[in-house]
Amino acid sequence: MKKGIRNYIGAAAILAGSLGGQAFAQDQGCIVLKSVAEQEKEVVNAKGEKTKQLVAAAKIVPGMEVVWTVTANNICKVPSEKVTINNPVPEHMSYVADTAFGAGSDITYSLDGKTFGVPTELTVTENGAKRQARADEYRQIRWVFRSPLQPGASAVARFRAVLN
Amino acid sequence: MQSLRFGAAIFTIALALGLSSNEARAVGADAGSTISNTATVDYTVGTVTSTTSSNTVNVTVAEILNVAVGAPAAATPVAPGQAGQRLRFRVENTGNGSEAFLLTLNSNVTGDAFDPVAAAPSIYLDNGDGVFGAGDVPYVPGTNDPLLNEDGFVYVFVAHNIPTTVTDGQDGFVTLTAAARTGTGTAGTVFAGQGTAGTDAVVGTSTATQTAQGIYSVEAVTVTATKSQTVTDPFGANRPLPGATIHYSVAVNAVGSGTATTVVFTDNIPAGTDYVAGSLRRNGTPLSDATDADIGEYEATPTPRVRVRVGNLQQSDGTQTITFDVLIKTTN
Repeated sequence: MKKGIRNYIGAAAILAGSLGGQAFAQDQGCIVLKSVAEQEKEVVNAKGEKTKQLVAAAKIVPGMEVVWTVTANNICKVPSEKVTINNPVPEHMSYVADTAFGAGSDITYSLDGKTFGVPTELTVTENGAKRQARADEYRQIRWVFRSPLQPGASAVARFRAVLN
Repeated sequence: MQSLRFGAAIFTIALALGLSSNEARAVGADAGSTISNTATVDYTVGTVTSTTSSNTVNVTVAEILNVAVGAPAAATPVAPGQAGQRLRFRVENTGNGSEAFLLTLNSNVTGDAFDPVAAAPSIYLDNGDGVFGAGDVPYVPGTNDPLLNEDGFVYVFVAHNIPTTVTDGQDGFVTLTAAARTGTGTAGTVFAGQGTAGTDAVVGTSTATQTAQGIYSVEAVTVTATKSQTVTDPFGANRPLPGATIHYSVAVNAVGSGTATTVVFTDNIPAGTDYVAGSLRRNGTPLSDATDADIGEYEATPTPRVRVRVGNLQQSDGTQTITFDVLIKTTN
């Protein structure tokens, strides 16, 4: 299976060289996935009001939140079905409870990257007693989009994590 | 830097293989390290299922400037006029990068009863054993500012002389301030490019400077002795006739805080009287006349006297009552 994919990508690279962008995109797959790291910054607008806006993440220090946004864009002429976005909680970061968001998706979490569930289904054993896992113990987040992603459409998955 | 990037790449692959990432250490992210993130998407077109990875986003961790100064656990008890009395502070780098700290001592804090006088030198950096000793070096601002790694700490001793004019129960306050050498300010203040590994340095919630207060507490204790007497004459009355017995009772008290050490009570036997053998008592307990293991004795020479070695005495010990009898001589 793995070998097959590798060969497929190799072929795509050759096609890209000879046929140009459109063919490249087709052969790369139907979904282009883009990840962006941003942070919330308080700005004062023209009316003198304080508002929060997202700016590119820089000067990240422990205790600061990063807003991670993953955008899946369907570049094919046919719908993509069963669109599922997976994103690990980056190393040295902790997921911020109740911040995962994705319109039209069901969101589950995982402590080990294998088993996924909603928060009430995730437990850890501590001192011999089972308890519900805390949000900062989640190591991976999964968004399963209920509807097919139409041609040209985008699906957005977002979450916040704080730098430890 | 090279190795950090390499580590991040390994991490991403491990997740793609579905391995656990729980090994992530709980320490704060180091300044200059890279936080990486790669998302994946699975989807189906027709009957073909595909997986695509996103770009990998790398965010460099900036240095956060934070410091904590721990005050001495307890006040240092001092006596009037004592020199070189010390307090121990603890300065910890609670930021996420290596940072040097400027130390400043203030010996003239308001709100206290006296100002301890800074000794020279007044600040010492501990050599790591936490105890003041020969290995501890005097601090010279700008020359040996303590350079601390993240979560690293150093004990700092400050030394003062206590004025002779202080009295029991008075407190003298001093403060030690530690400030990040890169800079201080309100939380969020940025020092561009001045952080670890060329990152920006950002002031944290501690404002990158903290102050803690230590206390010198004067413990002065004075010992008082109050003597009273009762006379019993041979005729059952209280006249000081030859042959009458004088019963002396001396109340010894420690007044103030702290401990009076090696308190010794002595009282000469009055002229014209003789000590009544075996009459010396402390709190009603007989003390032998001989100079021996017990704390009391009678000495006939050179001057007849009784002596009681009371030892350490505190106010909480209460009144120590020493009694002895003398007989008024019938012949001179």
